[in-house]
Formats: sequence, structure tokens, C-alpha cells
Amino acid sequence: MHCSIEAPADREGLVLTASRDQTTRALNGFLTEIERRAYRMAQIALRHEEDALDAVQDAMIQLSRRYADRPQQEWRPLFYRILQNRIRDTQRRRTVRGRLMAWLPWNADDAGEAPDPLAQAPDPTPGPGARAEGDEIMLALQVALQKLPARQRECFMLRNLEGMDVAETAAAMGCSDGSVKTHYSRAVQSLREQLGEFWT
Amino acid sequence: MNQENEDPTPFEQRTRTLLRDSAMQLDGATRSRLARARTASLAQRETRRSWFDFRYLAPAGAMAAALLVTVLFVGRHDAPGVNDSAGGALDDLELLADADAYELTQETDLEFIEWAATMGEKGQAGT
Repeated sequence: MHCSIEAPADREGLVLTASRDQTTRALNGFLTEIERRAYRMAQIALRHEEDALDAVQDAMIQLSRRYADRPQQEWRPLFYRILQNRIRDTQRRRTVRGRLMAWLPWNADDAGEAPDPLAQAPDPTPGPGARAEGDEIMLALQVALQKLPARQRECFMLRNLEGMDVAETAAAMGCSDGSVKTHYSRAVQSLREQLGEFWT
Repeated sequence: MNQENEDPTPFEQRTRTLLRDSAMQLDGATRSRLARARTASLAQRETRRSWFDFRYLAPAGAMAAALLVTVLFVGRHDAPGVNDSAGGALDDLELLADADAYELTQETDLEFIEWAATMGEKGQAGT
């Protein structure tokens, strides 16, 4: 007669493994649901497909390795906070690289001019999402978003594209609810002014 | 949605629709790379996790306990020899640390030595 009673340690191990597998499945579902919007957000901010993919992948890795055991409702603000930090790091590196390039001897003609971060952006043309759509309005929206100050754009994308509420956006941006409302209101106003001709 | 969490205005709805559509219409190559990035990130979680598996901690804990017992057991047998030399070293240390004691060892009180010798001789003569 076979007895299928497991030792307590084995049973505990099985429970732990099952719990971890459940977390991994939940994380996979979360990342699948979020990854395209996150990529668009990064791509519009960085204007570069490779950099955007790198930023999204880094955010995924950080979330998986460090914060997967946190409650699932915290994943979204955590993920976007990591992503925005990564985007800012990439932009800073570009600015530093631009300054260094300005000091190099073969750039002596331009040395007197302050480096323009926008000019350092590798690919100012709209990404494949916009190209595939072929929509003039989408292109105009993308250009208008790129002209916004970083925090306003970040706030607008989190609230509008990602559909976060004020509190969640504040958690993701690391600021107060009041700041979120201010950033969002200014972003909407600026976009309205820029896109007026396309929206009438 | 322009203030708290109100309903979005038509402008906001339109921008949201445009942005979400553009996200959903990403090309196949980008979607594939995003899926690979996701898989890689989950794989890294699995790799990291294996190092902290409790099943590996139990044997490690047992080995640490055995090592501790061994050190304590061996240490007790060696204790007398170690304490002898250690005691001498401690005395030296105390002497060096105590300035008064150090001065006493350096001074030669000749009068006292002479007196003590005299008293000793008298004592011997008396007996």
C-alpha cells in the first residue's frame, strides 16, 4: 500500500514554489498588458526605438528582480517610476555626450554654442506606430507631446494613455496630488493650443 | 478628468484613443522584442530566486552549526595553554596602560631596599 503523505518540509517547499509560480504568472500577465503602452511612452520621450526598448526592458528587469514580491496593486506605479528614471538617465547621458562632443577639436566651430538636447536626439522622425497609422493627427500629437516639458509629458501620458488616477500618478511620479493636477492641467492646455488646428 | 478624477473631456478622450491605438498597432518586430524582453526579465527573476531558495539554506545552516560546535570543542581543549600566554600578555598590557604601575617598576628606591635588607638581617640574628 502506497502512502502519499509528504514530509512537512517538502509540503512547505511545494507551497512556496506554487506561490512563486503564481507570482511569476501574474507578473507575466501584468507586463504583457502594459508593455506596448510603456514602449510608446518611452519612445515618445526618447525619440529613439532602441533606447525605448532598452528602457522598457530595464524597467521590467528591475520590477521582476526587486519588487515582484510587493502587492500587485503597487506594480504599476513602481514600474512607471523605474521607467521614468531610466528615461531621465538616458536623456542625461545624451546631454553629457553632447557637451563632450562640443569640446572635441573637430567640433571647434560649434564650441561656442550651448548643446541642444533636442538636437542630440538620434531620430526625430515619428516611430513605427505613427508611421503604420499614417495619421496626420497622430503625428501632430506626437510632436506636440515631445515639445512638452518632461514632467508635464510624463504626467499626461500616465493619466491619459495609461489611465492612472491622480493618486496613482502621484505615486509613479514621486510628487504630490496637487503637482499632478497642475502638470496635467498645463499639459492639456499646451496640447490644446498646439493641436488646435487639427482638432477643429 | 481635467481635475480630480472626473470624466475625460472630448479632447482628452480623443488623445487617449489615438495614443492607445498607436500602442496597439506596433509592428511585429517591436512586439516580438518586447515579448523577448519580458521573458528575459522573468528568467532573471527565476535565476536570482534560486540563490535564495530555503531548501539550500537548511544544509548551509547545518554546516554552519557543525562548524561552530567544532570550533568551540577544539577551543576548549586548547584553552589552558592559550590562557597562560594570554594572561601574561594581558598583564603586560595592563602595565603599559597603567602609568603609575609603569613608574613603580622604573624607580629604584634604594633606601627601602637597604631598610628591608637590614630588617631581614636583624630578624635572622634574633632567631
